[in-house]
Amino acid sequence: MTALAAISSGLARADALIRELGRPRLAGLIERDWRPLLLLIVVFGPIYGAFMGSFDLTPERSLLMLYGGIKVPILILLTTVICLPGFFALNTVLGLRDDFGRAMRAILAGQAALAVTLASLAPLTRFAYTSGVDHRWALIFNAAMFTLATGIGQLVMMRRYRALIAQRPAHRLMLWTWVILYAFVGIQTGWMLRPFVGSPGLPVAFFRPEPFSNAYDALFRIFLRL
Amino acid sequence: MASVTHAIRALDELLRGDRTRSADLRVGLANIPLRIFIPVAIVLGCTYGLFMGWYAIAAPALPNVPGRTAADPWLQLIASTVKLPALFVFTLIVTFPSLYVFNALVGARLRFIPTLRLLIAAVVINLAVGASLGPILGFFTVSTSSYAFMIVLNAALLGIAGMVGLWFLLQTLRRLTQVAVLDSADEAAAEAGAPPIEGEARAEKVTTANTIFSIWVIIYALVGAQMGWLLRPFIGHPNLPFEWIRGTREGNFFSSVAFHLRQLLGM
Repeated sequence: MTALAAISSGLARADALIRELGRPRLAGLIERDWRPLLLLIVVFGPIYGAFMGSFDLTPERSLLMLYGGIKVPILILLTTVICLPGFFALNTVLGLRDDFGRAMRAILAGQAALAVTLASLAPLTRFAYTSGVDHRWALIFNAAMFTLATGIGQLVMMRRYRALIAQRPAHRLMLWTWVILYAFVGIQTGWMLRPFVGSPGLPVAFFRPEPFSNAYDALFRIFLRL
Repeated sequence: MASVTHAIRALDELLRGDRTRSADLRVGLANIPLRIFIPVAIVLGCTYGLFMGWYAIAAPALPNVPGRTAADPWLQLIASTVKLPALFVFTLIVTFPSLYVFNALVGARLRFIPTLRLLIAAVVINLAVGASLGPILGFFTVSTSSYAFMIVLNAALLGIAGMVGLWFLLQTLRRLTQVAVLDSADEAAAEAGAPPIEGEARAEKVTTANTIFSIWVIIYALVGAQMGWLLRPFIGHPNLPFEWIRGTREGNFFSSVAFHLRQLLGM
């Protein structure tokens, strides 16, 4: 198989998978095998990460594109790993263990949708950078893109959860538990993985040079100063 | 090794609810052997305690605090690991007699050991959920220097775990009462040669028991929270010398959490 044929068959498979994300089918690809979802996150997540890091394209700052590419899948998956034990135990206690595989596929489908949506928004971010927004507006623009993509990811996850909730209403409580846990931990993960865009004055680095700090603590301080 | 696998399987079955089915309730919860579940509870409690005490090591402390030595963070880690299961043991000692009596008088008339099994099962579920939230606590521990934040986060995580444990206890007590009160009412009716009681009379018997158990659950939660306060410090202020028990009697759990919440919010 030539490289071109391999790429085109890979894209065809990704296309089938992405179209299935929003349309849950009982005998679909995702219900048969969840691992391609992980692949979607790992392949599409870095695309947005790299574009996000492309704020300043001078050679010495372009390393931020590489860092950004690495950080986005870490942000999505590390948060999942941290929340997973608690979510698993709570599902078990509520008697939902038999559905846990389906619940996780719904969650991963939502995250894959988030990664794919982000990747599709990447050109917009680059367009905004090219139009000459300053660093502060770049941050706000990226936050808006993340919010939009998260909303779409949520929709995909909820659509898949709907069948579970119809069978056992306790799934509704678990869905919201996941959303709250994930947001609570995810905000801190994102804060720790800064910088994503890179402040113009600061040197290029994977992590900020200062020791890790708490996002909520920092946010309260910012609010207090206002 | 075999006993560890056995214990893990037993824990899993308890969490799934496979050991508290109606058939198990009728035979005094024989499926919840104390010699397995008490060690399981202790291990799970130590796990959460370890995550809790980790802050003492990770937190940046001021140098030269009078009375504070280099070993203090490690002592705090050990103390938290030991004290968290102790918190549940002491709470159980204080509240178990009332559960036994309430249950004997108005509920399922469980015998002494089965009542203890039931309460231990609830504690195991509480601690299992707590330990499973441990990674979240650990994650914030490595990235947080704020002592107030850790207090509030611990109160929230243990609060969630406690609510799940008590929810399980209340659910099981209700089903037990349903099974036992109605069985014994039918028995009494059969002895007297009367037809079995029906409808509203049945429902009323069960409702009274449920109300009394709800009151007990509130007592248990309040005692547990205050016991945590008496056994403090669990997290260990980074700028205070290590103490096994802080000793001073003033204050209580709720005013302290409220104080740290206000401090965190800068109010």
